[in-house]
Amino acid sequence: MTARTSPLHDRHVAAGAKLADFGGWSMPIEYAGGGVLAEHAAVREAVGLFDVSHLGTGTVRGPGAAALVDACLSNDLSRIGPGKAQYTLCCVPDGEPDAGGVVDDLIVYLHGDDDVLLVPNAANAQEVLARLADAAPPGVTVTDRHEEVAVLAVQGPRSAAVLSAAGLAADLSYMAFAGGEGQEVTVCRTGYTGEHGYELLVAADRAGELWDRLLAAGAGEGIRPCGLGARDTLRTEMGYPLHGHELSRSITPNQARSGWAVGWRKPAFWGREALLAEREAGPARLLWGLRAPGRGIPRPGMAVLDDGGARVGEVTSGTFSPTLRTGIALALLDTAAQPAEGAALAVDVRGRPQPVEVVKPPFVPSHVR
Amino acid sequence: MTTPDDRRYTDQHEWALVQGSGGAGTVVRVGITDHAQDALGDIVFVQLPAVGEEVGPGNPIGEVESTKSVSDVYSPVAGTVSAVNEALTDAPETVNADPYGDGWLVEITVAGDGGDPTADLLDAAAYQALVDAS
Repeated sequence: MTARTSPLHDRHVAAGAKLADFGGWSMPIEYAGGGVLAEHAAVREAVGLFDVSHLGTGTVRGPGAAALVDACLSNDLSRIGPGKAQYTLCCVPDGEPDAGGVVDDLIVYLHGDDDVLLVPNAANAQEVLARLADAAPPGVTVTDRHEEVAVLAVQGPRSAAVLSAAGLAADLSYMAFAGGEGQEVTVCRTGYTGEHGYELLVAADRAGELWDRLLAAGAGEGIRPCGLGARDTLRTEMGYPLHGHELSRSITPNQARSGWAVGWRKPAFWGREALLAEREAGPARLLWGLRAPGRGIPRPGMAVLDDGGARVGEVTSGTFSPTLRTGIALALLDTAAQPAEGAALAVDVRGRPQPVEVVKPPFVPSHVR
Repeated sequence: MTTPDDRRYTDQHEWALVQGSGGAGTVVRVGITDHAQDALGDIVFVQLPAVGEEVGPGNPIGEVESTKSVSDVYSPVAGTVSAVNEALTDAPETVNADPYGDGWLVEITVAGDGGDPTADLLDAAAYQALVDAS
């Protein structure tokens, strides 16, 4: 299968980006003259511009659209009103294998009771939309808009100044959005970096013009195009889960500490019974942060060991923290091993046990609000 | 991407440059190529062998780790590690900035009568062809 490309692909190639496959999409990892460290620093200290058009987009429309989403996805949609977005999970329904596991995590934009927009991950977009379409009552239509919509992210302390200079809505509260049908750009105060930032939805055929406009508007603010390499180091420093690593069909929201995105009091959502039962019993493993002060970076799949060398868990994400200048990781640790903050464990880095300290993420302070 | 023609290369993306011959043998300086450092991205840790370690061709002699991934470095020749680039401990990014110069990794002393221990490795044109084909 040929990888799909963003509407901004030609610009990335012209900017000397290294490209890699993300969920079937060929996307920039880093740009020539940049690199993960410089791009990461731009977001923490100034502002970065990301193309995240591999993210899916879909609409759920018709009478009862929001009620359908609320009855299926995990978070409580009644906590927000129109004009707000919400992080939520699509879990495996009860009665299926892996019930309570996570099909995908996504952002929903609530336009109104009859109009909801979804931004799932690239690789899972089709399944999320197909499941909702199957569950939809007559009159509610689920439409895949992945190819029609490009998604850009402007992230960093100078992001508001860039949006203002580009003539876009910047004065939004956290998780609020402006725009929608008939508007050129939908701007939402959200992101995946831990910094003040925005994600922008734009028609695919207007994406190039918007990209150029944002880079021009941010020139005086130190803006830099940033690839998905820096996006990963930024999100890992915040302890944000990435589907396929910290959340998956076999890793539940209870285990990943994503229970805050579950509307426990709702009468129905996919996986409710399985998740309530696991919550009651206590999950067998929990997500923790690990700081690795030595050489050798913990990487996904590496075993976490106790001081006797017994395996007590597994690294789900690991990278170099450009901010802390040390290795950091997220890991699922067995509850039976009674891990606690400050505990000294080790990660088996290619046969060499590397000492790590158990911590509670984020690894660096959040500035999203 | 440059490929200097004053040295030899391996298909594992190391370079080997003869430094000169002395009483103990021929000193070969080893590093990774411009192509290798570019593929790795920002290098954050470099792990090097101990001076005095005996190595054979193809033996792992260290690791170069970037934000994204880690890569083993293999010895292009047989000999004894006679120097390691200690400056990389505090400044691993030197491998990105100057892979053929200040970003060298180790020196290996090859015993023998002064023949070129890198003669069997790829020349610059052959290595460049290998990179171009990849």
